[in-house]
Amino acid sequence: MSYADNFKKMKPGLDFGQAVAEADRCLLCHEPPCSTACPANTQPGTFIRKLRMKNITGAIRTIKENNILGGACGVLCPTARLCEKECSATGIGRPIEIGKIQRFLVEQSWERNLNLFDTPNPRNEKIAVVGSGPGGLSCAAELAKKGFPVTVFEARPEPGGVLRYGVVSYRFDLDFLEKELGDVKSLGVEFKCNTRIEGDRGAEKLLENGYSAVFLAPGLWGAMRLAPEKEPSEGLFTSVEYLAALRDGRLEEIASQVEGKTVAVIGGGSVAMDCIESAAKLGAEDVYLVYRRSWMQMPAEEDERIESLEAGVHYLLLNQPTGYRTDEKNRLTGLKMVRTRLGESDDSGRRRPEVIPESEWTLDAVMVIEAIGNRAESDSSRWYPNVDVDDKLLIKADPETGTTSTPGIFAGGDIVRGPALVVNAVQDGKLAAKAIQEYLKE
Amino acid sequence: MPGKDIDLSIEFLGKTFKNPFLLSSSPVSNSAEMVARSFDAGWSGVVFKTLNSDRLPIIHPSPRMNSYHYGDKRLVGLQNVEQISDRPLKDNLVDFLYLKKHYPDHILISSIMGFSNDEWAYLAKASEDNGADMLELNFSCPHMCIEGTGHHVGKAFDLIEKFTATVKSTVSIPIIAKMTPNITDMNEPAMYAKNGGADAISAINTVSGISEIGLDDLVPKPNVFGVGAVSGTSGPAIKPIGLHFIADMAKCDDLALPLSGIGGIETWVDALEYILLGSSTIQVTTGIIHYGYRIVEDMIEGLSDFMREKGIARVQDLVGRALENVKTTNHFDLDRQGISQYDLDRCVGCGQCYTVCMDAAGQALEWDAKNRRPRLIEEKCLSCMICSFVCPVPDLITFKEMPQTWNRKETAVMDPDLEKEIAHEPFIATSTEGGNECLC
Repeated sequence: MSYADNFKKMKPGLDFGQAVAEADRCLLCHEPPCSTACPANTQPGTFIRKLRMKNITGAIRTIKENNILGGACGVLCPTARLCEKECSATGIGRPIEIGKIQRFLVEQSWERNLNLFDTPNPRNEKIAVVGSGPGGLSCAAELAKKGFPVTVFEARPEPGGVLRYGVVSYRFDLDFLEKELGDVKSLGVEFKCNTRIEGDRGAEKLLENGYSAVFLAPGLWGAMRLAPEKEPSEGLFTSVEYLAALRDGRLEEIASQVEGKTVAVIGGGSVAMDCIESAAKLGAEDVYLVYRRSWMQMPAEEDERIESLEAGVHYLLLNQPTGYRTDEKNRLTGLKMVRTRLGESDDSGRRRPEVIPESEWTLDAVMVIEAIGNRAESDSSRWYPNVDVDDKLLIKADPETGTTSTPGIFAGGDIVRGPALVVNAVQDGKLAAKAIQEYLKE
Repeated sequence: MPGKDIDLSIEFLGKTFKNPFLLSSSPVSNSAEMVARSFDAGWSGVVFKTLNSDRLPIIHPSPRMNSYHYGDKRLVGLQNVEQISDRPLKDNLVDFLYLKKHYPDHILISSIMGFSNDEWAYLAKASEDNGADMLELNFSCPHMCIEGTGHHVGKAFDLIEKFTATVKSTVSIPIIAKMTPNITDMNEPAMYAKNGGADAISAINTVSGISEIGLDDLVPKPNVFGVGAVSGTSGPAIKPIGLHFIADMAKCDDLALPLSGIGGIETWVDALEYILLGSSTIQVTTGIIHYGYRIVEDMIEGLSDFMREKGIARVQDLVGRALENVKTTNHFDLDRQGISQYDLDRCVGCGQCYTVCMDAAGQALEWDAKNRRPRLIEEKCLSCMICSFVCPVPDLITFKEMPQTWNRKETAVMDPDLEKEIAHEPFIATSTEGGNECLC
């Protein structure tokens, strides 16, 4: 199919000349402000200076020692509101494209086949990491660098978590993911896939089965639902199901369902953007984004929103879905909606949508993707009953250490924070790795 | 930590430097406060700003420097009229004591400049008595406001020998003589320094130059209240000159002295080039003026990574390693020829290659205006490679050797009919008198 190449691969990053030219624009600031803006403590001021000074291996080391997923963050981070937002060069023009330079350097490390880490003295204490997403990988890598034998348990067939099953290939492709996973594996981290840590005290039992500490980073793989009065048997997806299907071998199947059809996506966040833009790229005739507030209230990044417009997405702002229309075989034929207007601000500081009476209408659509948020899987608290969770089933953990209410069990990433960035999960993994080492000393 | 299995230390004049990277005698080594900060950043030693004896007051011109920009590249060169130290000798010596007390593992080299034998001796003795590990004799500052100093000495070779001998007879610490590049052959003054007792040579000091003239006032910069002057040019622009003099001296069997390389060094690559051509230590100023002391971190890490990659354990094993490949041009094998080759799949269609080939090379390109692509006429390519220098796409244009059977087409004359009108007899040599040995 014609879309396949464009869909499955990311656009190439900077080449050597472009990266050097971009680094040349860097002002090499004293106390670089970019280096204070990263949730995972990335030091762009240092690695760009190193690139400038032809110390390329050193530049790569600066990134990778701090963040084993430096490549993923370079590609996926919303740099415009993090490091690049602080860039002094903005004052004389535009910020340095830090994310792109970071991606370039990490790709260089693969091209040059660099071995950045010394072999540590081996430790005896086995560590279990539950979940192979950014948080789990980050924690596992940090501990493996210190010599601990680390086993990562992954419920799905392949490692990567949200990096594999929650992001579209044209934004972050599998080839890139495999290379970055290779960096984690080369540290000696063991992966056990198709291994779901669940059931009664499933996670807690790891402590009884030879593991000295456990890091829980299973992510949020439950989907918030619209709770319609009746659910169609065909044509309705959650974003969790849909995005996973694009990556787990069902791409052609989804493409054939979408091609030439009308698709609607409900939601206003980054995940909704990935769903709607991918549907457009897969050849849907018309793609509608349905959001109950307006453009300014959307949580998705501005560049994602603009990109979706360029992909041909029609925006149905100020429309609130109310249910689905189906045919006699209960197949989806339309999305029922009611129009809204903005009222007073709510707790989130955004203006609240208010339903306009008697404004009901139905959009003809054969596929609808609900992208209204991820949440913890409903039975997750059973896997760790002695770990305190909140009313949303998010684990209560110390933000500085990942410590939970159960000694030896640490947690981080979205299962603690709720939906957040890859870079946040990376930092949680790093902090927990540090805390686990402290814990093992005691 | 990078580099823990790599030893960057090097022996130079009986002292162990923890790495080959030193501050040169200049504005960046003006006080103990500055030098201490540089040591904390990772520099292994300093050639302290040239001392003076307080006999004459030193007053620096204002402004002191001018930046030589090239397009948006800053500080490709630096123009500098700063004099030797304007601090009282006592203050500098107190700073020596401070540095030796607080940084005993770092090497302190005292740069001195005198006007007479006794002044050279006085400064040498004062340096040695206050902890200097070695001396550097400044025979080369190109912009002293006082006659009879700096590079005026460096160009008067007998004075080099005389003053070196004076210092040698006064102190027991090693002596480095610092050469001016504003001469033709550096081996000659270096030999005078050796004959006077120098233990090593450092080179190069700044190159005499004028980097810019103000177009409104017609005054060279820095414009010191309406007056400009020839002064010292430094920075990346002068690196080729420094490398050449270092290689010359390293290859001089009679000289056979350790060398400290200076001139346009900013990165570990620059430093390594000086080392490969025979320098045991290298010295930096303009790189620090541009970026600060922090660049040494990248020199250390970059050189360590290079050595690890190449399996080289000691810096000493790199010193002079490229010298055997530095030959005179008569060693070229002219029977082997090549041309440029184009990877046009990546061409962006700017046509700079065509412009330069037509105007500066062999007119070996045709221009496909419709597709905006050059087309190479192989037999006309001179292999000057200018096209590759201006091409914005990395490695799109590369050199390839052609088979021995291949011949380059001679540049055609415009109108062969005019040949019958030329006034011309073939040259026939009748005598070798006055001939030279140039084989080019």
